[in-house]
Amino acid sequence: MTLAMRLLSMAALALSALPQKLPLGEVPRGKVVLILQPHHDDHTTDYGMGGLIARMVDEGYEAYYVRASNDEKDGAHGYARNDIVNLRESVEGTRILGIRKVISLNWRNDYMNPIPLNELREQLIVLIRKYKPDVVLGHNPWEHYQKNPDHRQVARAMAEAWWMAGFANVHPEHAALGLQPHSAHYLYGKARLDWGLGHRPNVAIELNESQVRKKQKAYVAHLNVYANPATARAYRVALARENLAVPEWESLTDAEAAVLMEEWHMQWISRRRGAEAGVPYAEDYYVLGEFDHLPGLKEYLSKNVVAR
Amino acid sequence: MTGMRLAAVGFAALGLAGADRVVVVTAGGADYVLAAGGTLAEMAGRGAEIHVLRLTNDEKDSWRLTPEETAARARREAEAAGALLGVKSVTSLGYRAWELGAVSFTELRDRIMLFIRHHKPRTLFIPNPHTHYDRVLDRYYAGRAAEDAWRSAGVEGVQPVQAEAGLQPHITHDVYYYAPPVDPERRTPEASATFVPQPKVVEIGAGLAKKIAVAQVYVTANESLARRLEERLRTSGRRLPVLDEITPAAIRRLVEENVRGLAKLAAAGTGYAAAEEFHYAGIEFRIPASYR
Ligand SMILES: [Zn+2]
Repeated sequence: MTLAMRLLSMAALALSALPQKLPLGEVPRGKVVLILQPHHDDHTTDYGMGGLIARMVDEGYEAYYVRASNDEKDGAHGYARNDIVNLRESVEGTRILGIRKVISLNWRNDYMNPIPLNELREQLIVLIRKYKPDVVLGHNPWEHYQKNPDHRQVARAMAEAWWMAGFANVHPEHAALGLQPHSAHYLYGKARLDWGLGHRPNVAIELNESQVRKKQKAYVAHLNVYANPATARAYRVALARENLAVPEWESLTDAEAAVLMEEWHMQWISRRRGAEAGVPYAEDYYVLGEFDHLPGLKEYLSKNVVAR
Repeated sequence: MTGMRLAAVGFAALGLAGADRVVVVTAGGADYVLAAGGTLAEMAGRGAEIHVLRLTNDEKDSWRLTPEETAARARREAEAAGALLGVKSVTSLGYRAWELGAVSFTELRDRIMLFIRHHKPRTLFIPNPHTHYDRVLDRYYAGRAAEDAWRSAGVEGVQPVQAEAGLQPHITHDVYYYAPPVDPERRTPEASATFVPQPKVVEIGAGLAKKIAVAQVYVTANESLARRLEERLRTSGRRLPVLDEITPAAIRRLVEENVRGLAKLAAAGTGYAAAEEFHYAGIEFRIPASYR
């Protein structure tokens, strides 16, 4: 058979795969969520997770936040002061979401690419064994076009830490500290949707008004980097030139107007993701579930697992 | 994802000559058996000479065994599995399992390249480093190094010291990238049909029974899987009746279900009963259509 004939003998299958509305996901049953991120503000950003964290806390979860870097580059105060201010604002912002504690690993901000990845992974494994999360949240380790080295490294370390922590032969020395093997069973990955095709979420999480409100407030807690009064001032000037004004800003200072603008941004993005899922507010994620690493067994388990 | 096309190729269409040499690169465990065992069994049955390069020592995947004991058992099981599958050799490099991220890419690449230049395969099977959502990153690091070893093996100037040891540059014609089927977009063709690996499904009808038997040889990792699964179900108020008593027979049954489930997933949409799926970079995709 010639090569051309061989090629003709291939059965080409057309599988229809039109874009569909994301299914609405439930928060899995559990007690603890560990959020693993490099920066002070990654708990809540325009693509970030503040709404889900607030919802999980509403549903009974304890939440803990890991800031892997020292955030020294973020802000205009100089390295040491940025670290201090950003950590303080991180504690304030995460408290609004109901997070109990911020654990800072203090790797050097924007210089995380050359760090020993297995050392970072071990730090995350220690924390997973201590806090025993059911759910781990972080950047989607498989997203494309992620430019920030800190995001890449923490996500890659997390991609292994969340399940490896359950294997006793991974850092067996932890046993002497009373840290027992523990696996998280769900990984929620988040990424910007405008950064290419690497991240296509598989679930939308519905949020209520109060959760969106907490997300808005948690976001603007980071005054060192967001809600710059000069931005609101510039907008006012530009609008005034065309005889326009924002009525809601009339009695506000520039600083207050800047905060309000950021809150609107959080509300807008939550509303937009909600509209895509057919609910008022949402955030979307790529979720790896408890048996997704066993693709050959998933159907068998769904048919044969029974309640005790 | 519209216009998704998938080349489903029966085994006859692979055009394998009986005397082919095949090199399989694996990070460890039963990875290559679960992904490609049926295809390899078929190749071995037709007289292909298959050599497996196992990069890590599998020391961590066990149930209540030390890393040393785990590694020793895993090596014996890897060699027994290879023998049952019909491969000619299993070579273990002994890197510590789940720590490949800390190994130099170039070092790994050059050791795989030496193996390729030595065995001069017509066909390579390597882990697919481009897959998404595979949480075992050893497979990513192994695949990335193996992919470059495939390329570099044919480039005379890469590691010239290997020529001093009698090794010549070698070009491998066919490459099968394999991965656990966890990427929902694994069947979306890559943008270009030329020079880029494309999704390909291979029927494994006759190889399925052999594949099940070979996968069952990995007793240490299989027990780890069964115990962890049972523990997760028990601690969340559920049970899987077959694991009510974790006996060797129950574990073998679980492994059989896993292999059958994988074969069914790969066969979905093809009309085959059992299959394996790859990204395939072969002659079909390396010669532009206008020249064929
Ligand atoms: Zn960040």
